[in-house]
Amino acid sequence: MSNEQQDKPVKISLEKIKSQDKIEVTPINPLQLVEENEQQEAAQIVFKEQTKGGIKRLFWPAFSTLVIGAATFQTYQFIQELFLTNAMLGMAGIVVAGAALVSGGVALFNGWRARRRLANRQSAQQEFKRILQQDSYGKAGHSLQELTQEISEYVEISVLEKKYQSAKQQVHNDHELIQIYSNSVLAGLDKMALDIISKHASEAAVMVALSPLAIADMALVAWRSSKMIQELSRLYGCPQTAFGRIDMTKQVFKNMMLAGASELVAEAGVEMLGKTLTASVSTKVAQGIGIGVLISRMGIQTMSLCRPIEFTEQNKPRLSHLRKAIYNKVVGIVKNTDRDKNEERVKSPIIDDITQND
Amino acid sequence: MSEKDWFKESYYTAKQLVERGLDKHVRIAVTGLSCSGKTAFITSFINQLLFAADNDRLPFFDMSKQQRIVGAKIQAYPDLHIPEFRYSAAIEYLTASEPQWPPSTSSIAQSQIKIRYKVSNRWYKKAKEFSSLTVDIVDYPGEWLLDLPLLRMSFKQWSTQCTECLGRGSRKELAQDWLDSQNKTQLSEMYDEQSVSEIAQSYRAFLQRCKQSKANISLIQPGRFILPGELAGAPVLDFFPVVDESILAQDWSSFEAESTVRVLEKRFNYYRDKVVKPFFYEYFSKVDRQILLVDCLSVLNSGYESYRDMQFTLSQLLQSFNYGQSNWVKRLFNPSIDKLMIAATKSDHVPPEQHRNLEAFMQNMLQQARNDIRYEGIKMESMAISSINVTQPVMAEHDGKKLMCVQGVEQSTKETIINFPGKIPQQPPTKQQWSDLEFDFVNFAPSNLSPGALPHIRMDKVLHFLLGDKFL
Repeated sequence: MSNEQQDKPVKISLEKIKSQDKIEVTPINPLQLVEENEQQEAAQIVFKEQTKGGIKRLFWPAFSTLVIGAATFQTYQFIQELFLTNAMLGMAGIVVAGAALVSGGVALFNGWRARRRLANRQSAQQEFKRILQQDSYGKAGHSLQELTQEISEYVEISVLEKKYQSAKQQVHNDHELIQIYSNSVLAGLDKMALDIISKHASEAAVMVALSPLAIADMALVAWRSSKMIQELSRLYGCPQTAFGRIDMTKQVFKNMMLAGASELVAEAGVEMLGKTLTASVSTKVAQGIGIGVLISRMGIQTMSLCRPIEFTEQNKPRLSHLRKAIYNKVVGIVKNTDRDKNEERVKSPIIDDITQND
Repeated sequence: MSEKDWFKESYYTAKQLVERGLDKHVRIAVTGLSCSGKTAFITSFINQLLFAADNDRLPFFDMSKQQRIVGAKIQAYPDLHIPEFRYSAAIEYLTASEPQWPPSTSSIAQSQIKIRYKVSNRWYKKAKEFSSLTVDIVDYPGEWLLDLPLLRMSFKQWSTQCTECLGRGSRKELAQDWLDSQNKTQLSEMYDEQSVSEIAQSYRAFLQRCKQSKANISLIQPGRFILPGELAGAPVLDFFPVVDESILAQDWSSFEAESTVRVLEKRFNYYRDKVVKPFFYEYFSKVDRQILLVDCLSVLNSGYESYRDMQFTLSQLLQSFNYGQSNWVKRLFNPSIDKLMIAATKSDHVPPEQHRNLEAFMQNMLQQARNDIRYEGIKMESMAISSINVTQPVMAEHDGKKLMCVQGVEQSTKETIINFPGKIPQQPPTKQQWSDLEFDFVNFAPSNLSPGALPHIRMDKVLHFLLGDKFL
């Protein structure tokens, strides 16, 4: 067997090597090792892809071709008409149409890239999960380096990166390497992410608590959560555009519904505590806190969607930390405004009337 | 003793009891046969703790990662009759201009380290911001550890076991002198001090030969025959196992009390009850964490017989410890080991690619023993570690093939070499396969070590496993 020969021990004196110059000795570069070990096939049970009916499949391509074709045709006719009226007007029409085409194309392209980035991130997540289950050596270094580059395009992480570099050793296997990366670089990002979530959630909570209109509440939630998702996805190195964000929001909600049931049970107790406390302040404040919690949950789901290495039981972010921050902020602000109102009440009796009418 | 002294002493004892109740005291037993790297491990263990406050090379030791350790120091041991572990001397050896491993231990030594840390438990935090954890660690000659299984045996059982062992491997040749001298004497007759002492003498010589033989024999009992310590020349060491099958088959109570067999039995019992028992009672009965160091590389170098021998010895050893889940009430009165780590040492001598194989090899070797311990509900982990890392992995091309090797300074020649030791099998090889396998694990010497935190492999995981849950 050819394999057996490879297994025989070899001992070489370094001096001898230098004199002979035949044997090449290099320090280990983990990047070279990647493809050397063949990949183990993980047993996976997946649904086979369902084939859709022929006619049904035709709908979207046909529909979009129709719309785009009609629009192109209309634009062409429109510009032609403009040219008939005045050449200058026609030129202006071409410029405007061109600008719309280019900017729209760029936006579409960016959206497509953002979606691809998200899809890549998901597959990276799967890849790391697979490596974590194996006992391999030398496979993860390459992927982790790529990941660092990806993230550092958007976030300055040299401090975290340094921490990772000083903690890792040549002898660490893939499992350990990924853990160290998760505990150094990603843990730093997680901290920042939680700050972002708590900022947005508490802001939204305060706004809802203070806003008088239900329809405004809804707009607020949509606006703040979209903004938060944008910031979070950027932080983890896969920023989403407006189009991509819709896709992401969809996934976030899906995950929330799936994971929601079990989480809800665990969190219900604390939530109830929050409610009984806040109910005594006002129902509006309670609503605000409810919204804050909702946005925090969305934030946490976004985190686990964007984080390249899945959370473990130990480092999973918990809602309870965020809830406290939200509660303190909302109650603090509402109390302050109450006090302000009371002070104003002394000054002008008219405002007093208005608040009573509320 | 004056009244004041008595009060002081009882105050001290009470305080110790309370501290143990509050989990602030851990006693770690470092067990391992001779040459498994106990002294190096303890040196590195103390070193890592001393430098844990600002050492980012401990990514898996949470306390260090979260920067909760304020500082650590070696403390004078309160039991003054036990010599202190000479940590600074060991570091001196490692960092000298001609660095070498600390010499092997010839008697018992103890060390106590106090770690001051930030409390994170939200209830305790209210009472106290900082707390401290005291870690006791004992070093002793690995030879003595082999006496531990004797505690469960009678002289007859031990003799039977020795007879069985003689049938294995190269022991029989080594034992020839002793067997000849034993065969000359009638063991069932009245004893004669002169001849018994001579046979014991040749038995001890046989054990010494086993120790020095290249076959890497693990089971060498009794341990004090190799390293007598303060017992050198005492008559208690003048005994040997009876390997005469015809005598072993008889009922010994029919022999006269003055017969050689009965005298040997008496001495064995004395040795067991008056030498071995107090020793282990003092140092190991109060242990609550244990680490077993296994040197798989010497086994792989020497082959099948050595493998079987070490497997048998370690299983015997592990059976002798008192395992059981400890709650705090139990700990106060009868502490027992609740966490065991089995570590394959010297993993720096193995290319990192094969660490997993080394772990698997060791796990398979101790499969039965591990199963028994797990049955007791002990938390157990096993991994490949290196207390002090003295090599670095390199890729070398040999005969057109790329091999992952280790580079370091060879112990015997003091030359820098690159070594590919062979491929460690994950599954335990059969006897046939053993003869086909070829290994060459070179002993590397320390080189280029700075006096700061020592380089290591997975010591952070060891620290976390052994101490991690003791920090409040």
